[in-house]
Amino acid sequence: MENLAQIAMESVNFQAIMPSLVLCCFGMVLLLVSVFLERGRTAPICWLSIIGLVVTGIISINGWNDPQAGFAGGVVLDNFATFFNLTCLIAAGLTILMSDSYLHREGYPVAEYYPLILFTTAGAMWMASGTDLMTIFLGLEVLSVSLYVLAGFFRGQLRSNEAGLKYFFLGAFSTGFMLYGVALLYGVTGTTKVAGIAEAIRLMPDASSNPMIIAGAILLSIGFLFKIGAAPFHMWTPDVYQGAPTPITAFMSAGPKAAAFAAFMRVTYISLDSLQVDMSAMFWVLAVLTMTIGNFVAIAQKDVKRMLAFSSISHAGYALVGMVAWNEVGFSGILFYMLVYTFMNIGAFAVLVLIGKQGEDNLTLDGMAGLGYKRPFLGVAMAIFLFSLMGLPPTAGFTGKFFIFAGALKAGYVWLAILGVLNSAVSLYYYLRVMVYMYFRDPVEDFSWVKMEMATIVSILIAIAGVLYLGVLPGPVMELAKLSIF
Amino acid sequence: MEAMLFYLVALVSVISAFFVTKCRNPINSALCLVTTFLCLAVFYVMLQAPFMAAIQIMVYAGAIMVLIIFVIMLLNIGSVGKSRYTHGVAGAIVLSFLSFIVAAKFIAGGTVSKAVGDISAEVVQSYGHTELIGKAMFTEFLLPFEIASILLLVAIVGAVILSKRKV
Amino acid sequence: MYSNLWLIPFFPLVGSIINGLFGKKIKNEKVIGGIATIAIFLSFLVSCQNFFRLLGDTEKVHQQILGSWMSIGILNVEWGFLLDPLSALMIMVVTGVGSLIHLYSIGYMHGETGFYRFFSYLNLFCFSMLMLVLGNNALVMFIGWEGVGLCSYLLIGYYFEKKSAGDAAKKAFVVNRIGDFGFLCGLFTLFWALGSKGVWTLNFVEISENAHLLQSGGLLVTVVTLCFFLGATGKSAQIPLYTWLPDAMEGPTPVSALIHAATMVTAGIYMIARMNILFAMSPTTMMVIAFVGAATALFAASIGFAQNDIKRVLAYSTVSQLGFMFMAMGVGAFTAGIFHLMTHAFFKACLFLGSGSVIHGMHHAYHHAHLHDDPQDMRNMGGLRKFMPITWITYLLSCLAIAGMPFFAGFFSKDEILWWTFASTRGSYLVWIIGTIAACMTAFYMFRSLYMTFHGEQRTDVRAKDHIPESPWVITLPLIILAGLATIAGFIGIPHAIDVAHVGNGIASFLDPVFGQAQQLHNIGIPEDLAHNVGLEIGLMCMSVVIGLIGIGGAYYMYMKKQELPAKFTGAFPGLHKAVFNKWYIDELYDFLFVNPCKKIGTFLWKGFDVCVVDGVVNGIGWVVKGLASGLRYTQSGFLHNYAMIMVVGVVVIVGYYIFG
Repeated sequence: MENLAQIAMESVNFQAIMPSLVLCCFGMVLLLVSVFLERGRTAPICWLSIIGLVVTGIISINGWNDPQAGFAGGVVLDNFATFFNLTCLIAAGLTILMSDSYLHREGYPVAEYYPLILFTTAGAMWMASGTDLMTIFLGLEVLSVSLYVLAGFFRGQLRSNEAGLKYFFLGAFSTGFMLYGVALLYGVTGTTKVAGIAEAIRLMPDASSNPMIIAGAILLSIGFLFKIGAAPFHMWTPDVYQGAPTPITAFMSAGPKAAAFAAFMRVTYISLDSLQVDMSAMFWVLAVLTMTIGNFVAIAQKDVKRMLAFSSISHAGYALVGMVAWNEVGFSGILFYMLVYTFMNIGAFAVLVLIGKQGEDNLTLDGMAGLGYKRPFLGVAMAIFLFSLMGLPPTAGFTGKFFIFAGALKAGYVWLAILGVLNSAVSLYYYLRVMVYMYFRDPVEDFSWVKMEMATIVSILIAIAGVLYLGVLPGPVMELAKLSIF
Repeated sequence: MEAMLFYLVALVSVISAFFVTKCRNPINSALCLVTTFLCLAVFYVMLQAPFMAAIQIMVYAGAIMVLIIFVIMLLNIGSVGKSRYTHGVAGAIVLSFLSFIVAAKFIAGGTVSKAVGDISAEVVQSYGHTELIGKAMFTEFLLPFEIASILLLVAIVGAVILSKRKV
Repeated sequence: MYSNLWLIPFFPLVGSIINGLFGKKIKNEKVIGGIATIAIFLSFLVSCQNFFRLLGDTEKVHQQILGSWMSIGILNVEWGFLLDPLSALMIMVVTGVGSLIHLYSIGYMHGETGFYRFFSYLNLFCFSMLMLVLGNNALVMFIGWEGVGLCSYLLIGYYFEKKSAGDAAKKAFVVNRIGDFGFLCGLFTLFWALGSKGVWTLNFVEISENAHLLQSGGLLVTVVTLCFFLGATGKSAQIPLYTWLPDAMEGPTPVSALIHAATMVTAGIYMIARMNILFAMSPTTMMVIAFVGAATALFAASIGFAQNDIKRVLAYSTVSQLGFMFMAMGVGAFTAGIFHLMTHAFFKACLFLGSGSVIHGMHHAYHHAHLHDDPQDMRNMGGLRKFMPITWITYLLSCLAIAGMPFFAGFFSKDEILWWTFASTRGSYLVWIIGTIAACMTAFYMFRSLYMTFHGEQRTDVRAKDHIPESPWVITLPLIILAGLATIAGFIGIPHAIDVAHVGNGIASFLDPVFGQAQQLHNIGIPEDLAHNVGLEIGLMCMSVVIGLIGIGGAYYMYMKKQELPAKFTGAFPGLHKAVFNKWYIDELYDFLFVNPCKKIGTFLWKGFDVCVVDGVVNGIGWVVKGLASGLRYTQSGFLHNYAMIMVVGVVVIVGYYIFG
């Protein structure tokens, strides 16, 4: 037997996991610090976690264009991972900014909330940078377990309990499928490395007709499809999104979804490249199904938070279009779209955070009546986010969708692009209804309870800036997205 | 001989799995589950994976089952009424049948007849299974192994938060 | 050289932002209105400068690129502007008419709540419209396209306290989105079609240059152009998507004049003109356009007969006149269509502003007498000539223009269109006949509105009668200018047949660089033998004048001479009158066919999908039938095991499909 320690140390490369390492350290330190703070005092933790995110962000940016592989090929910090890392960091940052006042309002000022978000983000980073199915899987688990806890964070609220429990059970269920897929692929190829699987499949004479590879690929995909909320694995989203604390809903719909897309893209694009025809066909159907179900069901919703939950399903559908396209335009389109979606969706939820009363029973359409006149800033902010979600120019939603659909067109999927456009046209109906209530209905209430919390306002302003910048001058970021494809 | 043993254990595991869902008394269900776990451990032994078999017994049949039974006893769950949880049986049967067909098809159609990869039966024999796994865990899968520690930390924190009496 | 193009949309944008952010604090109406008006007037000045520079320039197509917008590997989209004769003419109309209407609004909107909001929206609209017109590629155009839709929506719903206004706004937006869907479909198909030939572009100049790569008359180009045409029908209120425009009259009158008469609704025409080279390649689409335009012209005119709301008459008249423009596009008379677009902008804006002046006066009078009668109902008017002479004169001049009386602006443009429908290689006698009938009807209902409003006996409530004032100068000045334009603007397009002084057809030669190529390439034009048949052209001209006179005469006879006739007529054909009065029940039909089913599908997917399908799989159909009522309580079924079951079904179906497929 060789010297184990030596072998192990050779493959260690801390550069490759530096961002997640820093984040985890921050998380653990914060857990310790929180012990010494008096009960209910969370603001220092909140700000320290923001500092942690910023430090991690700087470290991530420094690693741009300097790909680092490590841990026996288990992880690689390339531009692709960095782009997604930054997306997740932005999502986490915006979420934390709007959280503190929210937690106090709802009566759960628990400091552990912030470290859990940091751990979630670290999990997302391992997913984005993992090149071994085991790394990706464990990253996914860290992310999921933290989110189960965060979704059920309000122990006293039935809805929150329900959200946490449902997410936990269904998440565990989908994990089962995913692991089975990993096992099948390992069984056929003898490796869990993403590149190794690709190599083994390429060498097989009839890979695309080997039921074990196909089944493995599909079951593996299902784990990711569950996380991004694609139909028919979307059933958990509305209940969980509605029940979870609103900032967590915002975070879940952006950061973890982006991470799931990251891992999904890396695995499909590298490992399953030989199965492109079959996988593309499957994604085609799922993308259309996802968009359509999300949109049509959102039409019937009266609760704005729930409506946004369904709409996030349809947005996952739009992003899947990029997977169908299977070319660099489509893939970089997904990168760009996830960033755009982070800004616009978290922004919309941040507005909801501000206008909610304790218990958030007033986040219905009727509760929005006259918001535009009583609280002009929030009205305009919400309008901008809704326009972006609709995909109207010159907001980021338009450029993002266009990017993805251009990828589909380049690959020749004209019908898919047209169905996508049709779906955005449908989506307009329910987004618009919120606008109608905000601007064309007389105010029922005076919104006097709305406190313009500084931190939340900052996160709304950042989101607005992101939406407008990526809408008007998306060039530089698009360039980065293109450089991020493997 | 081995085949006969396999079929025997397989039969026991399927029957006990069936009774996990069939039994109305949770304690009985839990005990059936232990039986299933033990059968699975036997499979691992037959697959020349003694380490897995040991872990299976220690973790699942031991720790997890004890936990489950503790919970059942602490919460004092009696046997469940007959009327609940009966609907959906038809759908479940149809679905299981379909899943079985699909699974059978791809297992039958799978082209893996021999083990692939570095770890073959000979390697296992010469090194010993436990050693092999330990080596893999500290070299090739070092990072996932470390990530697992974060996972456990998160799980502990979560458990504490969700079960604390007061905020 | 043309480097200040960006200033043209920039000024209104700045005006909009200033009023939007600080308007509430400024409070002073004169300052707010002044800022907005000056902003659009400045862009009018810049437009003039560029327009006249272009007139003297030999190179007719100029682009100004501000910078890159999106670059996605295969394609680079720019923030760029395009100035050619077509867009030059359009910016003149938009900024010119826009300036006048801004000025008018200062008087008209006096004292309204949200004065600053109105001007902010109005400026934002002008910005969007100018982006639409000036954009050098389809995506910049699309920004304008969506922007004008949005502003129109905001302005229609301006009086949101009225439920009808909110509903009208929503309807306008939804219907417009159907059109936008067509536009995007066309765009994507075109993008892909050209891309598969190796040219990934959305730039109009490049599209024109590379259009020949597509097969002329082929299916692809027909599909693309039909999609674009669907987009145009939404924006420009043609059958089947015209229903929003009459409802849009819920907005303030200046908005109706600017957005729903002069500019936004012509965006569809402009878009077709901009892509004329593609449309010329598909005779099928051109034919569809010509017939849809003709049908709309006739249909809308017929509804105009029975409306009593002065603005609704004008709204249907707008739909009808837009039909004329589409007719022109359909028979390849691109120049005539744009010409009519311009003259229509003048006389229809004048008519709307005139009606606004009347409503303003009536409102004032009713307010004075504390009455709550409808100030827009023509049955309450009559004899207003005495009280508002300037409004009357300008309204009369515009009516003469729209009726096509000789040497008014509408005469030249309308006759040019009718001549092309008759003589063009893409023309058709049927279209010509429909067009001529519609022209006669136009003259009839426009003069009906004139007589009912300004002539005859005054039917206003006695208490309000003597308090109807003439409007202030900010209202009448724009009226006078527009009426003047409606009278003389036609002389820039004198047809060859009556061009005795040999000044030439100015607008045709000006626009030739835009349309000439397509017309030549695809053999669109007046055949040689007809082109020189001066007698025939003059004959047709005389005929349409006579037809117009018949319409006017009919209106005079029915509404001035024998005023009991309309009632008799209504009594004789009650069913017909009711159908026309209720706009042929088209709204009800659409509700029945599209709106209600859509709502039902949504509800079904929400309640029905979860309950029937989910529980159906889980529980077997029998249980569902029995338990449907109790199942309905759980709106989103909410059961964990149902969700898990759906997942398993998904897995089995997908894996099964690939394993067995």
